Amino acid sequence: MVILCIENLTKNYKAVKALDSVSFSVPAKTVFGILGPNGSGKTTLLGIVMDVIKASGGTYNWAGNSGEANDFRKKIGTLLETPNFYHYLSAEKNLQIAAKIKGRGEADIEKVLKIVNLYERKDSKFNTFSLGMKQRLAIASALLGDPDILVFDEPTNGLDPAGIAEIRELIKKLYIGGKTIIMASHILDEVEKVCTHVAIIQKGILKSVGSVSDLMNLSTVSTNILIELSATDNTALKNILQQLDGVLSITAFGNDLHINCIESITGEKLNRFCFENGISLNKLHVKRTTLETRFLEITGKQSDK
Amino acid sequence: MINLLKIEWLKIKSYTGFILLASFFAVGVVASNYIVYIFKRNVLDQVEASKLIFSGSPFDFEMVWKTVTYYSSYFLILPALLLVILMANEFNYKTHRQNIIDGLSRYDFLKVKLAIALVFALGSTLIVIITALVFGATSGSSFSVNGFENVGYFFLKASTYNIIAILIALLTKKSGVAIALFFIYTIFENGVSLLLFFLAVKIKKDNHHDFGNLGNYLPMNASDGLLTSPFDQFSGMTRDIIPSDNNKLVLACAIVYIIIFYYWSKIKMMRSDL
Repeated sequence: MVILCIENLTKNYKAVKALDSVSFSVPAKTVFGILGPNGSGKTTLLGIVMDVIKASGGTYNWAGNSGEANDFRKKIGTLLETPNFYHYLSAEKNLQIAAKIKGRGEADIEKVLKIVNLYERKDSKFNTFSLGMKQRLAIASALLGDPDILVFDEPTNGLDPAGIAEIRELIKKLYIGGKTIIMASHILDEVEKVCTHVAIIQKGILKSVGSVSDLMNLSTVSTNILIELSATDNTALKNILQQLDGVLSITAFGNDLHINCIESITGEKLNRFCFENGISLNKLHVKRTTLETRFLEITGKQSDK
Repeated sequence: MINLLKIEWLKIKSYTGFILLASFFAVGVVASNYIVYIFKRNVLDQVEASKLIFSGSPFDFEMVWKTVTYYSSYFLILPALLLVILMANEFNYKTHRQNIIDGLSRYDFLKVKLAIALVFALGSTLIVIITALVFGATSGSSFSVNGFENVGYFFLKASTYNIIAILIALLTKKSGVAIALFFIYTIFENGVSLLLFFLAVKIKKDNHHDFGNLGNYLPMNASDGLLTSPFDQFSGMTRDIIPSDNNKLVLACAIVYIIIFYYWSKIKMMRSDL
């Protein structure tokens, strides 16, 4: 089942083409990432499908509902761009307004505030919140009514590392619970860790779309392996690694060595080689082709259409 | 619509500006009329000559509707100002976007704002009715609904001011600019209206054509012009010079302007990026 279908969506701001005939579909029960640098058109795209921006061309529909689909939007939990609440009202009162507009979720207010760790501040006015707290309130608002579809635009913006990890776990939990999540981000690591599918947009143009695993497998770069490792004596480790066939490059990076080697060098082979040469490893981390690598392949060499 | 109005009430009831401006309006209506009452009783009534010009009390029934609506109408700037602030704040803080994102249609968002404008106009009118009833009752005169059409004109003026406030906020989207523009426009239109009045006087004198007070055909003045001063005793004496009042035409203008502002607001809301 397709949750969101976008066809030839275009948006012009006078001479600037913010979106250029973008088309893709979001399957149900996926974590669909919209990935792109700042200014690529991610927020514009989400703004159009949430009816706060008018498209210059193209169409979209939510689960087959054409047009503005106001009633359907009530069933979507959305965080778009910045948290937008009434500054003079408390967190709880703001959520009451959101719940009343959606026509659901008023009974969930206490629960969602606890999920985002804002329950103790429910009576505080919105204008007393830090950026991170505002962001968390926006996430809480999106969760009202237990929607099956969630749209998050840069959900970890303003959050500290603990908050980022919490949101990542929340998204994973929601996905396991059968929700469909559409998440826009410019942070590759974030998308790689949680998304099942991704659309890459650059300067308003859709560069690639598909499942994350398919995208990675389509890499035309040689399937080299990146391995992070360390030992008590990294100098000795480096010396013996230089003797191993298949090791293409060795770079010192803090307390680790990062090596680039051919695909046939597995973690097991490397570990055995080091041990046989008298080196016991403290750390061994095999990294395959990352989304960052793939992203740079797609966008870095194709900066102009 | 009831549900939407309940949501708006949630937004408004805790807003300090609403409490202050609504209170100022209510106090202003009562105080201004009381001042006129005191002035009439303690000053005008003490001067024998004034009794030749001003017969009766402006707070006796029939006249009380005209008196109270006229002096209260000066305070209609307050509910209009409140609407400018409330509407512009939605754009300032982008809560209008969030309302749409949460599932409100653009038209529903506008409709409920216009409904609030109407509710404010009704509330203002109710305060004026109560004030008029109290003053009329204390004057000792017999109750009469003659002259009650002035209450209708008051409601029309309140609605006009409020819908202009909504439109200005929608066009500017910034609180400070909207408030400034609202005041500037009010002053500007009053100035233009005065010039058009003098023009109408000149046309009547020179060409003997009476088009009525041309200034009363402007948006705000169309509803202003329907409410006249209870002390306007000289109009009969200046009949030959001053353009005559064409209340039906002025009323029609006021209604047409409201319709124009409604459609202008709707087009702006439905087509803009929020």
